[in-house]
Amino acid sequence: MSTEKPPVLHAADVHKSYAIGNRRIEVLRGVNLTINAGETVALLGASGAGKSTLLHLLGLLDSPTRGEVQFSGEATSDRSAAYRAKLRNRHIGFVFQFYHLIPELTALQNVLLAQMMGVSVLGYWRARRRSHAAARQMLERVGLGERLHHRPSELSGGERQRCAIARALLANPSIVLADEPTGNLDSQTAAGVVELMFSIQRERDLAFLLVTHDESLAQRCDRIVRMKDGVVIEQEQVR
Amino acid sequence: MIPAFSTFLALRYLLTRRINLLCVLGVAFAVWAMLIVDGVFTGFVKNIHTDVRSSSPALLLTDLPHDTSYEALREQLEADPDVTTTAPRLRHHGLLQAVQRSSARLRAESSQLEFDRARTNNGFALLLGIDPLREPAVVDLEAWLSRGPDQIARRGRIDPRATVFDETDLDRRSEMLVPDAVEHAARRRAGLPRDADASRHRSAWPGVLLGWPRVFANARASAGDPFDVLCVAFPTEDASGAVMRPHTTRMAFAGWFSAGSRLFDETTVLVPIETLRTMLGHDAYDPNSVDLVTDVAIEPRDGMTQDEVEALTDRLRKIAQALLPQQANRCSVLNWREQNETFLSAVAQEQAMMEIVLFVVMLVSAFVIYTTLHMMVTQKVKDIGVVAAVGGGPGGIGTVFLLSGVVVGVIGTALGVAAGILSAVWLNPVNEWLYAHVGVELFPRGLFDLDEVPCHLAPEWVASVAAGAVLLSVFVAVLPARKAARLDPVTALSYE
Repeated sequence: MSTEKPPVLHAADVHKSYAIGNRRIEVLRGVNLTINAGETVALLGASGAGKSTLLHLLGLLDSPTRGEVQFSGEATSDRSAAYRAKLRNRHIGFVFQFYHLIPELTALQNVLLAQMMGVSVLGYWRARRRSHAAARQMLERVGLGERLHHRPSELSGGERQRCAIARALLANPSIVLADEPTGNLDSQTAAGVVELMFSIQRERDLAFLLVTHDESLAQRCDRIVRMKDGVVIEQEQVR
Repeated sequence: MIPAFSTFLALRYLLTRRINLLCVLGVAFAVWAMLIVDGVFTGFVKNIHTDVRSSSPALLLTDLPHDTSYEALREQLEADPDVTTTAPRLRHHGLLQAVQRSSARLRAESSQLEFDRARTNNGFALLLGIDPLREPAVVDLEAWLSRGPDQIARRGRIDPRATVFDETDLDRRSEMLVPDAVEHAARRRAGLPRDADASRHRSAWPGVLLGWPRVFANARASAGDPFDVLCVAFPTEDASGAVMRPHTTRMAFAGWFSAGSRLFDETTVLVPIETLRTMLGHDAYDPNSVDLVTDVAIEPRDGMTQDEVEALTDRLRKIAQALLPQQANRCSVLNWREQNETFLSAVAQEQAMMEIVLFVVMLVSAFVIYTTLHMMVTQKVKDIGVVAAVGGGPGGIGTVFLLSGVVVGVIGTALGVAAGILSAVWLNPVNEWLYAHVGVELFPRGLFDLDEVPCHLAPEWVASVAAGAVLLSVFVAVLPARKAARLDPVTALSYE
C-alpha cells in the first residue's frame, strides 16, 4: 500500500436501506472505506453482509440512503444519474461473477461498447479505427485474439470472463470493481483469470476492489476488508 | 446527442430478433392499405363528384308550390346581374312502356311492366320536363347526348347520338321531334297508322330521351320507336272530392343520354316540358293554364367566387319567395352539392368509416410495435443493467428502445409508401392481367361503368399517412423506452 497515493473512492458513513412492504431493511449501517489509487482491496464477508451493495454504491450504480460516496474527492450522491454514468464510463470498470456480456454482440463488440458511451454516432465513426485497434489489442492481451468475432454463447466461461475483463479495462479506468469474478469458474480457469487480473493491475497500476469468498485470493491483495451485518468489522493490511 | 451505443444496440436488437420483421411488415401493411384503399376510394369519390356535378345545374330553385308559373320567376331571376340565364324544369313520376308490334294498339298497362326486375330501368321513371331551347344553357346537354351512345357502345351496341337538339325548326326542337322519316319508319315497324306516302308524313310524337341504363330493359329500342308515357295529374277537387287524372301520351324514342351520374341516368327520362305540362292538365293553349315548373335551373355568370355565389343564392331565394303566395313554404336555391346532399353525404360517410377502419389497422400495427418493444425491454433487463454499469446513462438506454420503434416505423412506412405508390401505378395493369389470365377482377369496373379503376393518391395524403405512421411508432415506443430508462441498474443486474 502506498499511503501517498490519492484516494480513488471513499465511502463516508454510508448507510443503505431498502423498504420491503412495511419493513425497512438496513443493509449497510455506516460503512467507512477508502480505496487509494493502485491499491488492491479484497472485500470479504458472509452472504448478506452487504458486500455487493457496497460495491454497487462505490461503483456509483446506486446512491446511499445516508452518507457519501466520493470519487477522487468529489461527492457523487447528489449528482444526476447521467453524470454518475459518465464517471462510471470513464473511470470505473466492472467485472461480474456472471460476466454480463450482451449475447447479441461478439466479443469485440462487447468490449467496444464501453467506447460508444460518451460519443455520438459521428464521433464514434470518426474514431472507429483507433477504437477497434484498442479493443482488439485488449482482447489479445486477455488471450482472446482468436475469438474476436465469437458471440458469448460460443465462448467458454473463462473466455467470457476474460472478455468481461477486457471490457472493464478498455477505457483505462482508475479502478476496477470485481464482484466474485471467479465465483462461476472451475479452479483451474479461475486461477488463470486471477493471474490475468493481477498482472494487468500491476501493469497499469490500477486500483482493484475484489469482492470474494476466497481467502487465498484475498491474501493476494494489499488489504483485506471484512464485513458483517452491514458494517466493516476489520481492515487488515496484508502488504 | 444520441450516444453511439444507442444506435448500435438498437440496430443489433432489430437485426437479431425476427419478431421485429413482423412489426415492420405490420406497419408496411397498414400504410399500404391506407394509401391504396383510400386512393381507390378517393378516385371513386372524385369520379362521383365529377359525375354528379355534370348531371346537376349550378343552382336550382326548388321546393316551389305545385302551381308555380315559370315566366314570373324567370323575369325576376334573370334581372339579377349575376344570373346568365335560367331554364324551367318540371319533375313528375310516371310509367314508361315500349309499344311492341304485338301490342301496338294497346295502351300501357301496369301489369305489363317488369315488376320482377329490381332495377330502376324498368317502367317506372322520373319524368323530367325540360325546355329544349333553354336547357342547353344550364347543363352540358351536348355532353349528355355524346356520353349516352358511348355507354351503350361499351356494351357492344352502336347507336347514333340523338339529334333532336340539332333541329333548326324551333317548334320541332321544343317538342324534341324525331325526323319525319324516322317516325314514319317506326310507325311502320310497330304496325301503327301512317301516311302511305312517307314523304308526306310529319312527326307528331314528342321525343323522349332515355337514360342509358334503360338499354337493359329496352334492348331493341331504335330511333323513333313509340313509347307510351303514363302519369297522373296533381289531385283536383270536384264534388266527390279529390280526383287523380291519369294521362297517357305516346312519345318517340329520341336517343340515349348519360348525365354521368348513374343514379340520375337510371331513374330519369327527359321529355319536352310542354308535353308534360299538357299531361298534367296545363295545356299551353288553355288560357287558364300556367307554365308549370317544379324547379328552375339557374346558370350564374362565370368566374364568381364562393362567397359571391352564396350571396347570389340567398338573393335569388328571397326574390323567388317574394313572388310566391304568402302561405307558400320556404323555397330553396341549392348548389350542385346541396342538390345531391344525401348521396354525397352517404359517400363521404362511407369514406370516413373506411378511414376509421384503416386507422384501426394502423393502431393494431402500432400495438404490435408496443408489445414487441415492451417484451424486448423485459427480456433485455439484464442488458440494460450491463449497459448502465459500463456507463450508459438513462437517456441513452431509453434511446435504444425509442430508436428501435423509430427504425421499425420508418422502414415499415417507407416499404408501405413504396408498395402503395407501386400498387397505385400498377393497379390497372394488374387488374387487367388478372382478368385476362385468371378471370378475376380485383375491382369490377363494369359495376361502376368505368374504363379503369380510378386511383387518386394525393401527395398530401401520402405525406400525412407516412408522418402519422412514424409518429405513431415513436409514440408507442416512448412507453417501453421510458420504462427502460427508469430501470434501476442494480435491480437490472440482479434480474433473473
